Amino acid sequence: MKKIVCLLLLLFLVTGCSSNNENVLNVLNWSSYIPDEVIRAFEEETGIIVNYSTYSSNEELLAKISSAKTGTYDLIFPSDYMVELMIKRDLLEKMDTSLLENVSNLKEEYLGLEFDVNNEYSLPFLATTIVIAVNRDHVTDPISSYNDLLNEKFKNNIVLLDDQRIVIGMANQALGYSMNDVNATHLDNARDWLLTLKKNVKAFDSDSPKTFLITNEVDIGVMWNAEAALALQSNPNIEIIYPLENGALSLDNYAIVKGSKNTENAYKFIDYLLRADVMKTIIEEYPYINVNMETEKILDSSYLENPAANIPEEIIAKNEMVENIGSDISKYDRLWAEIK
Amino acid sequence: MNRIFKRLASLPISFYCLLLILLPLVYIFFLSFLKSDSYGGFTYVFTLQNYLKLFDVVYLKVFAQSFFIAFITTVICILISYPFCLFVNEKSKMVQSILMTLVILPFLTNSLIRTYGWMVLLRKEGIINTILLNFHIIKEPLSLMYNNLGIIIGMVYTLLPFMILPLYSSISKIDPRYIEAAKDLGASKLTIFFKIIVPLTVSGLFNGVLMVFIPCIGYFFISDLLGGGKLMLLGNLIKNQFLTARDWPFGAAISIALLLVTYLLVRIYRKSGGEMDDLGGL
Repeated sequence: MKKIVCLLLLLFLVTGCSSNNENVLNVLNWSSYIPDEVIRAFEEETGIIVNYSTYSSNEELLAKISSAKTGTYDLIFPSDYMVELMIKRDLLEKMDTSLLENVSNLKEEYLGLEFDVNNEYSLPFLATTIVIAVNRDHVTDPISSYNDLLNEKFKNNIVLLDDQRIVIGMANQALGYSMNDVNATHLDNARDWLLTLKKNVKAFDSDSPKTFLITNEVDIGVMWNAEAALALQSNPNIEIIYPLENGALSLDNYAIVKGSKNTENAYKFIDYLLRADVMKTIIEEYPYINVNMETEKILDSSYLENPAANIPEEIIAKNEMVENIGSDISKYDRLWAEIK
Repeated sequence: MNRIFKRLASLPISFYCLLLILLPLVYIFFLSFLKSDSYGGFTYVFTLQNYLKLFDVVYLKVFAQSFFIAFITTVICILISYPFCLFVNEKSKMVQSILMTLVILPFLTNSLIRTYGWMVLLRKEGIINTILLNFHIIKEPLSLMYNNLGIIIGMVYTLLPFMILPLYSSISKIDPRYIEAAKDLGASKLTIFFKIIVPLTVSGLFNGVLMVFIPCIGYFFISDLLGGGKLMLLGNLIKNQFLTARDWPFGAAISIALLLVTYLLVRIYRKSGGEMDDLGGL
């Protein structure tokens, strides 16, 4: 017994030491976003120990950041509208891009966007858009827009994201409104549209909608492009359709948390991820939309020829982004409860 | 001496309850009267709005759906548990302890992982459908999940031990002579069950009902995974307030409402003559 206690105490001592280590970086990132090998390689190159934890929604990130002691996390990856919200709540540190050698690798079109006009607090990491994936082994009907999904033939045969902003946004766009519309009559129409669509919905799932397609649980899925790209890799008969509507774009960003104690290491890590070859490794594992000019030049055909990974620029250009709608979010929440 | 020892021994648990259960509850209670500021925070303005919002038809529907699923789950758990406990009770001590260990065994694995296990069994091209199709018992794959059936299968599976354990503990306490006496007097099996076994195990039964009904309302991951996220339960609604709608005060108000429901259930139990001590008689 004594031995065990001693051993436990020793363990505490050891872990105590490592957490006091100066050379650490506390990263909080989306799950399935940066392959482990990239982090290991960074640790080996710099000697910095990366403490990596994950979240699965922007709101979960917000909850973690606002409830944790300042200095718990250094580097986070909030999406567009969350960057704006975090700036308003004074949760982010200003970014000094002069410390980043590779910042010039970033594509112009992803810089200076509305949520952080001068990129004072954030820099783009990866982007993602919504596509429709259809298993052509079983479905032959033409599909080009969200409205085509209302076809009665597809009963119980569609998987959607379990994300109220995206799904209600789909309905809004299908009806010709903006995806961020908060007009009460428009939302009523969106509700009716979704109630019709729901008859065709087998499941709402954000974690792994590709699994539904791969296991033949459903034949149609509306999902983030990387998920669709991975589904396509396992079944070449899946067709990727860019919806006729404007579609949705989400941009995830590097941001440094206010009160971070390891900002220098955070910059080193950002700079490392901005390197062309490192970003190549990342998007080949998780085929989201590349925002790095230099990476573009060295990408393999497996990425470039995958229509769900390499999205045409004109599609991305017309995409809408989720915007902060303030207290109107409660209308969306009520609508979501109504259709479920 | 004994009394002082009891007091002292209960100090840690009292402290634990105060710090980790009472304080958070007080916090939630206060939170439920505040106004949310839509940035995920709240302003210190007193309002009853959060409670009034609960009476919105949409949210009442969520309450109704949750209670419906919880009710069905509880009934099925009772229907399985009684025969099972009576069966176990007739075995030798040795076999009894083995069987009861088997009931507890699944707890060694995380319930989320076990739910994923069910998904492998129940899905369209899953194990159950594949076997049935290959033996030509069915022609079309059965829809076993991504509907209410899936939710109920998952809930019953996860919560069944919470019904079995208290029920078994009260059934094993029944004096077998009562049952012998009833038999001698010519009572049928059904009469013995309803006139002797049920009245003597009502505290265990109620304990089980509480332990199944209440968590069932909150287990949002089961409705998300096995129900395909199509049915919103109170657990989902509360989770959404904290993680999507960023309306913590409303989330707190729903939680308080749920606590009130629990309290009401216990009140009903006490009104019907139940003892609080029996509820802890595990």
